[in-house]
Amino acid sequence: MKKIFIYVSVLALMLCGCQTDNSDKKNSNETTESVSEISQTDEELAPQIYEGDGDDPSTLDIFAMDTYMNVKAYGENSYDALILSSDEIQKLEDIFSVTNKDSEISKINESAGNFCEVSEDTSSIIKTALDYCQKTDGALDISIYPVLREWGFTTGDYKVPDDETIKNLLKNTGYEKIETNENKIKIPENYEIDLGSVAKGYTSDKVSEILSENGVESALLNLGGNVQAVGSKPDGSDWKVAVVNPFDESENLCSIKINNKAVITSGNYERYFTDDNGNKYWHIIDPETGSPARNGIVSATVIGEKGVMCDALSTSLFVLGTEKAVDYWKKNGSDFEIILVSDDKEIYVSDGLTDSFENLSDMKVNIIER
Amino acid sequence: MSVKKISRFGLLTAIALILFIVELRIPNLVPIPGVKLGLANIVTIFALYRYKPSETGLILTARILLGSMFSGNMSSMIYSISGAVLCFIGMIFLCKIVPEKYMWISSILGAVLHNIGQTIAAIILMGTFSVIAYLPFLMISGCIAGLFTGLCATFLTSRLKIK
Amino acid sequence: MKDKKTIIILLSIIAVIVIGSVIGIFYVSRPSESNTVEIVSNGKVVKTLNLSTEKNNSFEVENNGKINVVEIKNGKIRVKSADCPDKVCVDSGWLKSSDLPIVCLPNKLIIRFTKNSDDIDSVSK
Repeated sequence: MKKIFIYVSVLALMLCGCQTDNSDKKNSNETTESVSEISQTDEELAPQIYEGDGDDPSTLDIFAMDTYMNVKAYGENSYDALILSSDEIQKLEDIFSVTNKDSEISKINESAGNFCEVSEDTSSIIKTALDYCQKTDGALDISIYPVLREWGFTTGDYKVPDDETIKNLLKNTGYEKIETNENKIKIPENYEIDLGSVAKGYTSDKVSEILSENGVESALLNLGGNVQAVGSKPDGSDWKVAVVNPFDESENLCSIKINNKAVITSGNYERYFTDDNGNKYWHIIDPETGSPARNGIVSATVIGEKGVMCDALSTSLFVLGTEKAVDYWKKNGSDFEIILVSDDKEIYVSDGLTDSFENLSDMKVNIIER
Repeated sequence: MSVKKISRFGLLTAIALILFIVELRIPNLVPIPGVKLGLANIVTIFALYRYKPSETGLILTARILLGSMFSGNMSSMIYSISGAVLCFIGMIFLCKIVPEKYMWISSILGAVLHNIGQTIAAIILMGTFSVIAYLPFLMISGCIAGLFTGLCATFLTSRLKIK
Repeated sequence: MKDKKTIIILLSIIAVIVIGSVIGIFYVSRPSESNTVEIVSNGKVVKTLNLSTEKNNSFEVENNGKINVVEIKNGKIRVKSADCPDKVCVDSGWLKSSDLPIVCLPNKLIIRFTKNSDDIDSVSK
């Protein structure tokens, strides 16, 4: 009996020893494993396409144009249509990117002072963008890129430039001086353009087109926060799209119901930095001042049939400020609706939306009538 | 307390610890937090039927404290303690009304009480009631585990005639 | 005789517990009708996600230096890896049932379905 006692106690001690030892090893292994998995997922930027099944949609997840894009498409041919969509997104990214030296935009910028022949897509998006630059009287300006870069919004290397620098840079901006001739574009010397304000909208139009052409009657795109719907939901009801609360991104501001439309928002929370004095600077530059647009709007949403229009107008209305934006909509808003949020926490909703508009915040809602 | 008793309790604690640690080596059979066979409870049940509740309490406390230290998982100690306290109180009462032959019944009910104690601790510690969803799983597994440990303890008491 | 009565009463209690638990298991295991998921760390909701619009990605949830890596893939969510000792949260796999959360007791993490925040299909920002 005694022997058994001793045996048992020794065994117990041994087992205990083993246990602590192993669990330590196990823990350290796990930590390194989890770290490596994280870095791996960061690199998982290749498009991921999954085939839907029954009521489940096919999905496309892709990182392009510096943002996450997600497309849900319903129906039989949705998977094949998404493969084509993915190719299209990558193609457009390659030609529109201002940071990619081989892109058509870079070519235009390099050959500043001369005409540069570009593809149908590039000439078409530039012409459309210039159209909105003009319509908004310069609230949108695709030639503002050198100023945007000086602020560091293109690199993340943020700084507040001094007035002199901005003044000098503004000399080389102005959409009016950009010339187009069929598929040829000419920008003045020292000019640089970028399509950041319209590229995602153009892309969602193109993807919607491809989906429709390939027999997809129901799809929902979210290209880095730019929402565009193809048709309605598979059951025929409208899509319910929320707009994020600019004062708290984890909350929704409101929701609206749409079909076959784009819902595109420009907000001061998307890309910004704060200086030592607590001043916030965001990436939407007022072409007039060369500084972040501070005209009373913190978020501007445009709802309309064309993504590129909504994208261009959401930026423009943000720059215009509450009063001018409302005026702009009253004069030109036959084919789009707007939701504005002012910096004093009020929501302005155009009256075409009132049927489906639902306020999800505690802010005051003002209906603007035509 | 006689030397004989001290050594006997020490032995029982050691056996309970071994069972506890052996059990740690068994991989999780089901992915449900808190599900365990509870082999160490064989000792607790046995002790409850043979010794005073206070003495059993000593063995149990020593086993939980040492077990948590050895396993290096101090956070699980709180769950063990709250489960054990409820289970222990219930079992003191149960072993008075349930004859030794049927100790598996007290074992099952003890295991269920243990699960309830664990769940209460989880609700408090996690700050949410949603963990209560695991209680039915825990109680079923508790019934099975309690039956098993109870039968083991019955077997043990029938073989060990020492007092 | 008295013993027999006690035994019968206790056995019926056990039977009730077993039957109740089986019903409970079926109840909590119903597939979720919601797409909205809450991540609760240390008793606080740290993240609310709509799985139907969330892109595939993984992120860390940290509590007191302890880390769970949460993965979202094809509209499903799970704990991909964790530094807790038992790994029950990882073994639980993808979150499926409406009332049965993924729980990591040591790291105080809970991932659970919550009521759909108004069945919103997509968010414009």
